[in-house]
Amino acid sequence: MNVAVLVKLALDTGQLRLSQSAVGVEETPLKISDIDRNAVEEAVKLRGSAGKVASISVLKWPPVGRRVQEAENLLREVLAMGVDEAYLVVDEALIGSDHYMTAKAIAGVVRRIGADMVVAGEATVDGYTAQIPARVAAELGWPYLTYVRELKVDGGRAVARRDLEDRVLVVEADLPLVASVTREINVPRIPTLLAIRAAMKKPIVRLGLGDLGIGEAPRARLAELRPLVVSRRRVIVKEGTVEEKVDKFIDFLIGEGILRGA
Amino acid sequence: MRALVSSPEAAVLAREMGLEALGLAWTDEEARRLAGHVGRVYLVRSGSMADALVRLYRDEGFAVAVLPGTREARDAAAYAAQLLGAAFIPDAVNVAMAGDKFRVERLVLGNKAVAVYEAQPPLLLTLGPGSRSVGEGSAGGEVREISVGEDKRVRPLSVEEKPKGAVRLEDAEIIVSVGRGFKRKEDLQLAFHLAEVLGAQVGCSRPIAADLKWLPEEHWVGLSGKKVSPRLYLAVGISGQAQHIAGILNSKYIAAINSDPNAPIFQYVDFGIVDDLYKVLPLLAQRLSERRRGA
Repeated sequence: MNVAVLVKLALDTGQLRLSQSAVGVEETPLKISDIDRNAVEEAVKLRGSAGKVASISVLKWPPVGRRVQEAENLLREVLAMGVDEAYLVVDEALIGSDHYMTAKAIAGVVRRIGADMVVAGEATVDGYTAQIPARVAAELGWPYLTYVRELKVDGGRAVARRDLEDRVLVVEADLPLVASVTREINVPRIPTLLAIRAAMKKPIVRLGLGDLGIGEAPRARLAELRPLVVSRRRVIVKEGTVEEKVDKFIDFLIGEGILRGA
Repeated sequence: MRALVSSPEAAVLAREMGLEALGLAWTDEEARRLAGHVGRVYLVRSGSMADALVRLYRDEGFAVAVLPGTREARDAAAYAAQLLGAAFIPDAVNVAMAGDKFRVERLVLGNKAVAVYEAQPPLLLTLGPGSRSVGEGSAGGEVREISVGEDKRVRPLSVEEKPKGAVRLEDAEIIVSVGRGFKRKEDLQLAFHLAEVLGAQVGCSRPIAADLKWLPEEHWVGLSGKKVSPRLYLAVGISGQAQHIAGILNSKYIAAINSDPNAPIFQYVDFGIVDDLYKVLPLLAQRLSERRRGA
């Protein structure tokens, strides 16, 4: 089976460069979005003996010039996990554009390479809107199964346990389809040294929107990105005995009216 | 211009932007509540949510649709948005009109930054933390039922309800929440005891519910768990991953107990104690129960 897996080259929020007034996007490194590693693991398992796994990434963070090399280095990691070839869509027009355009680009690659299934993570760590899987499904005219924590594919039919807020919904659908997975679905493999070496020889294909025949304009633009000012009191007690700390906390709770004073 | 709204809060927001609000509901109860705030409510009796959105756009037109924040509604919004060629911005914290465009803010990058989007209509939204709550209204709007086709491509086989205990984190006044700082499942008793003294409910971070399974999922607080808005959220032994923080931002006060002074949680607290939870919890519970007896 041929599987396309979506791999977001996300801004590494753990290493975000922030000042009082600005978010240093260009100085912050990219990383593979955490849940996408589960998606890669699942895609590699689904491929079986005959078939291919292609990863699809769309570069969304500037500067394009410097990010391409960084992106390709990250893609070597998913190639080492068992992905056969990586597709990277790079286009200035995608920087600061919306999910409508991202989904167009992803679906464009899927159409170009052909796939029986698209697998994605439930959401990406930087944006966390969780909308790309359903959008890609709409673009391809395929059904979608999101928030999947268990997946079986057999004879062109998928059965999935979907994790909704208050219930688990077991559903089936025929391929082709789009599935998004949660972190519970598997444990992503750590590639062996041999696999890492083999990944160096696997192809990374770079495409632009023109190559995919996409000329649409985004419906929304990222106009501004500013640091979130947390207006919390931030009284942190490090010094003193445990007794003193506990007393200070109780005083705080009473002072703020959270606990009634005695 | 019109707004399609699925909550009274969204109806108020639409009117503030000078838009006519039409309701969108899936149950009789929702329709009844919305009819107090808008002139007309479309009650979707059956069929796919995404198809209902597309059809309402084509038949009635709307500049913006504000949808519920459930996973199913968000998927439907994303699917419909792609078909309509529209932007979809979930968890919006600030929405305004600027000329013929919408200006929408949402938290991104692990809640460390605010992204401001400029979007052309039609725009689909869900509202994030910070949206106010609105009481019963008296607009007396009419309820019009519509039905669209089911999406037969995805066939339900079975439903397993997640266990519902006495845990109602959404309504809790005080939540004592536990994380990986606890070394053994039995040690959670320390938190349950403190919760009892405080009249609090017990929440937990992702690893406790999803990985270790020390507590059922109904205790799980965070982006994938429950979003809570208590008067006091006390995070004990929780490092403060972005996905957890996203579930607690609406708390009036946030406090934390953690032995690691560099734990990210301390960036989000009103009050923090840097110390061993195994020393702090028993003493805190003891002092609080002494006070209660003394009071």
